[in-house]
Amino acid sequence: MNFTLIFFENCRYCSIFAKIEFPIKMDNVQVGKQLNELTLFEGLQREDLVYVYRGAFSQVITDSIIALTENNLDSVGESSKLKKRVFSIMVECLQNITRHQYVDGNENQSAEQSGLFVICNKDRAYQMTSGNVVTKEAIPHLKQLLDKVNSLDKDALKEYYKQVLEDGSISKKGGAGLGLIEMARKSGNKLFYTFEDIDDKISYFYMNTSISQLMDEEPIEFVEIQDVVALHKFVLEKNIMLIFNGGLNQRSLIDILSLIDEQAFGRLDRKKKMYNVMVEMLQNVVKHGSKKDVGKVGGNPVLFYIAQNGDDFILNSGNYIDNSSVDKVVEKLNYLNSLEGKELDEYYTHCLLDFDIDNSKEAGLGLIDLRMKSARKIKYDVLPVNDSMSFILIQVTI
Amino acid sequence: MEVLHIEGTEDTPEVLLDSGNNTFSISGRSFPENAIEFYEPIFAWLQKYAEEVENDMEFEFCMEYFNTSSSKQIAKIFLLLEKINENVFVQVIWKYKKEDSDMMASGMRFSKLLNLEFELREVE
Repeated sequence: MNFTLIFFENCRYCSIFAKIEFPIKMDNVQVGKQLNELTLFEGLQREDLVYVYRGAFSQVITDSIIALTENNLDSVGESSKLKKRVFSIMVECLQNITRHQYVDGNENQSAEQSGLFVICNKDRAYQMTSGNVVTKEAIPHLKQLLDKVNSLDKDALKEYYKQVLEDGSISKKGGAGLGLIEMARKSGNKLFYTFEDIDDKISYFYMNTSISQLMDEEPIEFVEIQDVVALHKFVLEKNIMLIFNGGLNQRSLIDILSLIDEQAFGRLDRKKKMYNVMVEMLQNVVKHGSKKDVGKVGGNPVLFYIAQNGDDFILNSGNYIDNSSVDKVVEKLNYLNSLEGKELDEYYTHCLLDFDIDNSKEAGLGLIDLRMKSARKIKYDVLPVNDSMSFILIQVTI
Repeated sequence: MEVLHIEGTEDTPEVLLDSGNNTFSISGRSFPENAIEFYEPIFAWLQKYAEEVENDMEFEFCMEYFNTSSSKQIAKIFLLLEKINENVFVQVIWKYKKEDSDMMASGMRFSKLLNLEFELREVE
């Protein structure tokens, strides 16, 4: 047994993310074992929204990230005023990435140079971080601008904004730092930033700002931006393009799917397979997932991420499940994993016409479909959470 | 009978059941959160139509994608069509886009399971 999926929480910024050893080798994982000592899911149990996207940024992707966040803010019942503030910052962040994602317009960049967007709900604030490459030459000017913006209070920022506007010193990329000033003004918080070397010519630029959930909150004094840097390293190392940890409902499912539609997964049929598998995996969570805090609003908490390993795409979903349902699901997964080719096909047909299992929650076909689409065994693990609940992880390779 | 026309959305297909023009079709994507609820009016319509049907029918499917819970509901539509086929001739046309092996395979699966005249038709 070589299952090494470890969740840890040493990243203060991003309340939880998964440390996964690829490829995961687990053919006969025993329920629950070897994970008892880990303090898992602390972050997830708080149901903080954590959303990480790494890759090329286009208009469609930007729209989908905004829609996904909007849906999440809606489902947890945030006020329209707060939503508006979060959006205006998000739009600036995402535009910054889109505009500056390529150095000298060169789109053939390595994975470590691709754009990054992170949003999470932490310490009563929505924290957003953008990441993109910059040339080393551009750093001093950028630093100067950021330090200037950070040194000004609300009124001084307003003045400065006017001044820059009148000055008309627009850079060739269309930014005169107006975006940055706007972000500082609208967020009421500083723009925390850091640069990390990539090579002798370019660096990676991280910028973070936050929107407090409470209107009259004091400005946030300190943000551990190094946590995002660590998170970025992690997603790069594991080749993860997307992490979504938050409430999931049909609406957010559609938004996540539109993100996938934009990606190049090679052949068309593979893209379609990815799409199909995601629908089944995520709808599984929408329909069968449980909430740990019954009182919480929003969709069912889910941890979903996509990683790439060589030619394979690895889709992972994790959600809470009532202990009373665990045996049944495990039994079904083991049974499906024992079937091959024609047997699977026959079993699908059998279940398709089994109208004893036909209700709004269940058609009894989802897992079979995952197994068929993947053509590999479905990897899974069940981790006990408490007396009534466990956490189930499912991994499908395409 | 009154026409049943449901506009397509991101996650539900367009449905047109028009006995006056003898046009019956379901097309697009289908992965609603609650497939039973979505397909319910379609069953209700077909059940009622089964009682008064006089003309032969041509029922067209042109699916881009459907999830597993929709596939069960589509199977139920076919079973209803089998029943109607006892009174009038029902021709099913299952369209799939060129190179969409998935939708072609789904059509094949249904065609094997059913006692219906079933045509698989590749479209551009």
